[in-house]
Amino acid sequence: MSAKSKLNQVKAFFRKPHNIILVVLLVVLGYLTLVPLVTIIFDTISVHSSEVRFIKKPAGSLTLYHWTKMFASGVTSQKTFYEPFVNTMVVAFLSCVLAILIGGFFAWTVTRTNIRAKAFISTVFVFPYIMPAWTLAMAWLNFFRNSRIGGAPGLFTVFTGIETPNWFAYGLFPIVVVQGLHYAPFAYILIGGILRNMDANLEEAAMLLHANRWQIMQKVTIPIVRPALLSTFLLVFSSTMSAFAVPAFLGSPVRFQVLTTQMFRTLNGMNPGYGYIMALVMIVIGVGILMLNQWITGRRKSYTTITGKSSNISLFNLRKARTPLTVLLVGILLMIAILPLFSFAVESFIMAPGDYSPSNFTTEFWIGLGRADIANSEPGILRNPSIWLGLSNSLKLSVIISLIAGTVGMLSGYAIAKRRGSKLSTWVNNLTFFPYLMPSMAFGAIFLSMFAVRRGFIPALYGSFWLLVIVGSVKYLPFASRSGINAMLQLSGEIEEAGTIMGVGWLKRMTHIIFPIQKTTFISGYLLPFISCMRELSLFILLVSPSTRILTTLLFQYNEKGWNQYANAINLMIVVIVVSFNLLINKLTGASIDKGIGNN
Amino acid sequence: MPRIELTHITKKFGKFVAVDDLNMVIEDRSFVTLLGPSGCGKTTTLRMIAGLETPTEGVITINGKVVFSSEDGIDVPPDKRDVGFLFQNYALWPHMTVYKNIAFGLENLKWQKEKIKERVEELLTMLKISEFSHRYPSELSGGQQQRVAIARTLATGPKVLFMDEPLSNLDAKLRMEMRSELKRLHRETDSTFVYVTHDQLEAMTLSSMVCLMKNGYMQQYAPPLEVYRKPANTFTADFVGSPNINLLEGVITSANPMVIRISEQVSLRFSATTPISITEGQAVTLGLRPEHITIADDAEAVAQAEIVSSLPSGMETIIALEMDGKKLHSVVFGDLDFEVGKQVGLSFAHGQFNLFDQKSGNNLGQGTLSKA
Repeated sequence: MSAKSKLNQVKAFFRKPHNIILVVLLVVLGYLTLVPLVTIIFDTISVHSSEVRFIKKPAGSLTLYHWTKMFASGVTSQKTFYEPFVNTMVVAFLSCVLAILIGGFFAWTVTRTNIRAKAFISTVFVFPYIMPAWTLAMAWLNFFRNSRIGGAPGLFTVFTGIETPNWFAYGLFPIVVVQGLHYAPFAYILIGGILRNMDANLEEAAMLLHANRWQIMQKVTIPIVRPALLSTFLLVFSSTMSAFAVPAFLGSPVRFQVLTTQMFRTLNGMNPGYGYIMALVMIVIGVGILMLNQWITGRRKSYTTITGKSSNISLFNLRKARTPLTVLLVGILLMIAILPLFSFAVESFIMAPGDYSPSNFTTEFWIGLGRADIANSEPGILRNPSIWLGLSNSLKLSVIISLIAGTVGMLSGYAIAKRRGSKLSTWVNNLTFFPYLMPSMAFGAIFLSMFAVRRGFIPALYGSFWLLVIVGSVKYLPFASRSGINAMLQLSGEIEEAGTIMGVGWLKRMTHIIFPIQKTTFISGYLLPFISCMRELSLFILLVSPSTRILTTLLFQYNEKGWNQYANAINLMIVVIVVSFNLLINKLTGASIDKGIGNN
Repeated sequence: MPRIELTHITKKFGKFVAVDDLNMVIEDRSFVTLLGPSGCGKTTTLRMIAGLETPTEGVITINGKVVFSSEDGIDVPPDKRDVGFLFQNYALWPHMTVYKNIAFGLENLKWQKEKIKERVEELLTMLKISEFSHRYPSELSGGQQQRVAIARTLATGPKVLFMDEPLSNLDAKLRMEMRSELKRLHRETDSTFVYVTHDQLEAMTLSSMVCLMKNGYMQQYAPPLEVYRKPANTFTADFVGSPNINLLEGVITSANPMVIRISEQVSLRFSATTPISITEGQAVTLGLRPEHITIADDAEAVAQAEIVSSLPSGMETIIALEMDGKKLHSVVFGDLDFEVGKQVGLSFAHGQFNLFDQKSGNNLGQGTLSKA
């Protein structure tokens, strides 16, 4: 082949916009996800400046100190790594099981029975997932905290006089319950999708062949949804494993440590090397989970069962149980989705915690000018400049990230779907999904380690707003690229080709043909990053500086200082913004997170 | 002996009426097709007889036993009706091998292991799929999956077999093959088949009775050739036959002898062969099957037409004609081609022609045509 024809080939390759997108993504994402992995490995074997004193080597020199301390140093390893590791696995496993049981039950009830108020249940059930993870944790504390650990007792104790035991108020039990409830909607969305897409004819065929309900369930329904159920389990597991806020809120009073809280302590403290090892361990587990998931979904017996007429689904008649069950489910929903909000409102108006008499109510924490005797004369949150800064930072950050992640996700979905089956497309596809598996805090740690210093033409970004933007955009790209790919796969290639033949340019094809057709799916690709970003704590907590603080990190600080009223007020603010934004988008465009599960 | 009887069956989905007051009898060992355009209620009817859907009103009896009655609140579950059902998408269980799929029903009936094996092997041989018994459905082609689905349905030996467009997912060649296969199975299994399709050719070739439906109403219930020869109305006339019947609108200009004016130039004399009552000035529709329109020389011709197109396919040629502004299709047998644009004479000397009332579309009677 002559040099000229080769050149022409390259030219032809880059004349197609989707090829350009893929190559650019490959380079940028490779740099932002794979290179940090290398630097983090290096970070685990090098001496950090804060460690010079006890490692007794100059900063930057190589050492195995962290690895030996973490894994092979008796009690130290036990305390710093093994115990939190076991706690993490136990918490993740149990909360995952709980989430799947609750979410699965709700999904089955909504898709397969004639329960009432389906639309309501479906909408409200997703709230706990849209709300920040610690919402339920804070509500739990508001209700059940006890005075044994110190501080004022919660509503439950005040009203019943029963002092809650420590195991009930803090540590493993409440963490599992709260995380289970928080991720139940996630399981609900996934399982609901499976049940909805499962061909009802498969069950009917079994019924006609003399199988009873139990046999159908056991021999047909469950085996068919099992692969999807397993993959749901793994996805929820990887989320619960990397959760930070809930264990931090509910675990720290009794020193119940998990990997993420431990990582936060070490990275912020004297031993960043330990933290990077923990981040690495979590990444390895995350990747392992992805591979397991791909193996499960790629096997001989795995299948898609998206055929048949959905109108054929015969709903299970609940008969007499219909109304009681509806009432029960709605009751549970009100308890986990609405009641917490009330508790935040109440707590934020109370002067001395634990005293719910009318005389104790105050608006000090909302509009007060700040009193010297409370919280270092911190002004009420509506008059507080640092809160306003946090709010504007949060909104700015979420909007920019959702625009970047949503647009890049859409483009990557377009390009990946266009070149489906090619090696390039597979690589980019995996790269866009990779950040999903990285535990948020580990991901934050990577970027901390990577951009703390100047890298080539990129200046040291630590403390800058743009570092938050980059980390958030990459982390939430998977949400957007998934919906982008889905949208594109539903669209036949001919629709775009019809435009190409008529000489319509690429930009115009995207904005006038492709985007309008798959509008709702693409908009969900913008919505998810926005909501996730508004309520994200663990991803940003290592990276914020005083000038770039956001609402969630402020909330965390207030909570650490024990200024409960401020924390509750901020939380209420975040929840209201997120939920109303979600409802607004839903009303305006029809895009929503629980799309299509409840409305049959 | 399984004789199925439907009396006053109505099914509503909310406000939408899917099936309206359906009465029909399916005789033992017959092969009945429910035929109609999509959304006409044929699948719903089938699912109601099988027990997968609950009728809003009416009574269904199978073999003299009431399996559904809205008045008496009887609703026998599908597995107690002793029926087999073949789904359009086969509904094979993806996590079971071919063998397991077929054995499933027998296992539920608590057959002994050896007997199950014997029966499954018998079916595998009968449907020529023995070599696939250990494969999973996703590893089979459409036609093979279809055979597995049939084997699974036949395994428990149901006396009635329901099929919901079972051939619609197959390619043309396989469909031909499976049609004769189904006819063979019908004879061999000695059972009653109820078959849903929107393909008139399938209905014509397979069944002993055709039930034509439209918008939830039964239009005609008769043997296929009777539907073809004596359609009950213009809808059934138009639905059956390919190329479609020619429906010419006209006016009765004289009652005795009966003359129909089709256009300015063309008037035809209709000699009734069945009792018929019409009035002068009545608007009618005349049905002409394409094979009954022949190209004739001037002596025999009753009308003149121009050839608009000629589509030879070897065995026959379909000609589009224009007769004084009216479009007609004719089928001429043999490997002939015609010159487009040529004027030819037409003759309607052969065959029985149906006359319909234009307003109601109902069949008025039959007769022959000649020059007015």
